[in-house]
Amino acid sequence: MPDSPTSTETLVLLLTQHQEPLFRYIFSLVPREADARDILQETSLALYRKFAEYDPARPFLPWAYRFAYLQVQKHREKSARSPLLFSEDVMDLLASERTHIEPRLDERLRLLDACLQKLTAQDQELVTSRYALRQSVEEMMTRYALSRRTLFRNLELLRQRLHECVTRHLQSEGLA
Amino acid sequence: MNLDSLIHAEIDGEITPEQHAQLEAQLRSDWQARQRYLELVDQHARLLQQPAVNTGRLQSAAPKKSPPLRWWPSLTAAAAAVACTFIFWPKHPIETEATSNGVAMLSQTMDATFTGTAPRSGDTLKPGTIRLTQGLAQIEFFSGATALIEGAAEIEILSAWEARCLSGRVRVHVPPAAKGFLIHAPGMKLEDLGTEFALNVKDNTSAVHVFEGEVIAHTDAQTSASLKQGMSLSSLKTTAVSPQDFLSISELHSLVQKRDTQRFDQWQQWSLETRKDPRLIAYYTFKHWEDDRWDRLIKNFTEPRRPSRAGGAVGASWTQGRWQKKEALEFKRPGDRVRLNLDGTYHALTFACWVKVDSVDKKYNSLLLTDGYDNGEPHWQIYEDGSLMFSIMYRPAEAARSARHNQMYYSRPVFTADSLGRWHHLAVTYDNTSGTVSQYFDGQEVGREISKLHQPARDIVFGPCEIGNWGLPTQGHQFPIRNLNGAIDEFAIYSAALNASEVRNLYDHGKPE
Repeated sequence: MPDSPTSTETLVLLLTQHQEPLFRYIFSLVPREADARDILQETSLALYRKFAEYDPARPFLPWAYRFAYLQVQKHREKSARSPLLFSEDVMDLLASERTHIEPRLDERLRLLDACLQKLTAQDQELVTSRYALRQSVEEMMTRYALSRRTLFRNLELLRQRLHECVTRHLQSEGLA
Repeated sequence: MNLDSLIHAEIDGEITPEQHAQLEAQLRSDWQARQRYLELVDQHARLLQQPAVNTGRLQSAAPKKSPPLRWWPSLTAAAAAVACTFIFWPKHPIETEATSNGVAMLSQTMDATFTGTAPRSGDTLKPGTIRLTQGLAQIEFFSGATALIEGAAEIEILSAWEARCLSGRVRVHVPPAAKGFLIHAPGMKLEDLGTEFALNVKDNTSAVHVFEGEVIAHTDAQTSASLKQGMSLSSLKTTAVSPQDFLSISELHSLVQKRDTQRFDQWQQWSLETRKDPRLIAYYTFKHWEDDRWDRLIKNFTEPRRPSRAGGAVGASWTQGRWQKKEALEFKRPGDRVRLNLDGTYHALTFACWVKVDSVDKKYNSLLLTDGYDNGEPHWQIYEDGSLMFSIMYRPAEAARSARHNQMYYSRPVFTADSLGRWHHLAVTYDNTSGTVSQYFDGQEVGREISKLHQPARDIVFGPCEIGNWGLPTQGHQFPIRNLNGAIDEFAIYSAALNASEVRNLYDHGKPE
């Protein structure tokens, strides 16, 4: 039994610790869950291959983001014909500006949990259906007897309310 | 469509190519649009990852009522038909928020015996009568008031703000937040204005003494008296109070502390003997070695010593165990684990450990698992419904990889809201002749089963394995998160199936109180 963890173990720990921010980063560039998850996997693999180059004295995330960005570009090239992907210049802008505001985004997420608890029972149920149970649009339309349009309108309003709630809290803490 | 609606359409996957182009144009030209986009998308990503609206089985927040009319905009015949399918649609039952009608908790006990169902310290108390035949009990009301009760006593808890003393001696402390706390006693009603006082009820007469602050004593409907520091009052002259008769909270604490040390010393004595059991494969007591520079060594304490079976902690941090002097390792984050490598092949096994589970929040919550899942390898976990789950893998050489060949055994659910956050003893025994698996919770059998897939005489092996988590992932694969959420302060692995009384013995020698 070695005293210090192997590099694979170290990477595993780093990845588990940072999986969430990595996913969020990728998702901001490719806001489609399945694609973002694929890219996250590719990124983990790339990190594994290049892990020897990682300098443990430096923070892990910025290093990992570089790989994530490359994988996003690869994904873009593969599906270049999709009309629903952002062009490279917009992705560049988003990626670099996101790094600047990341501390504030983290701060927002901290407040998000409290805002979720304040939702009405109906809204909480909607969050559960959409995000925890991952129900399909059709399932949710049946469940709530709503048209597709109204369902998405409700989801939009729900997320807007959450966003406003977080912003309000930030302002009251003087951080906005 | 405005910017926000475009963003929402984008993340819901409902956007058309034209709208997407519109969104992209706005993002390209406007920093504020980008900022808004980044915020909304980040929020959505977080919800996708972990919606903080609780959905776990043990703690769930969701509406109590069926969806109100708002969700049924027009009850046309078609909608009514849909409504009916909804009613008969049990796939995802709407979970209701866990509730409790507790009003107080039993925070400490000292040599306490109760008549009727005996509460344990840490239990939530509902309104009702507590009959303490002997010993001491400390009750903390949810209002903030604390009562220290000396047996024999009979106390009726009415609410978080009100109690009745039927007999016995009680010392009550009421912080400012609980001002107005009421105690009924024969012949008087005491309204506490933020203070500390003692009450002695005997043969249906009461006497009260105020140590500090002020108490309003209502002796009947009309008369009330204000009692200040040092003053006493009796409903009958025959019952006297003298302040020295009452135990103070600090004395209780020092008694509890003394017992804590005593229990630890007893356990340690026993532990020194039990580690000589030749059937032990490994025995971890989670002693923190100050001189271990890496701070990560989990020594194996079997006698004779087998240092090669020491474990290595990853991530997990040191915390307090069953007693103040006992250390434990806490598992919280997805990476936390203790790595082991156990050689040898065996015909039987027993796993026994002391664990404090804070939450059963994953589908599988690891206790001890081998890295992979090859033939003869055991896995021991807590399943999402709070049951103990033991399984061992035997896959015939010719079998398809997809078919299930692991023998699985579940106990009845043992981790429920009131067993979380406390120390419990868990054990499982298995022998490869009879194929019987028995599982124990606090020394009691909670499951006994033989798998249909059992075939006698197949070896048990461990190899690389870990406590509190599952396995090193192979290259490039996602791995499930199974880390335990809790702490472990003793773990024993035997090469034999201990019998029920031996397991009971492990529990008795290790129980915290």
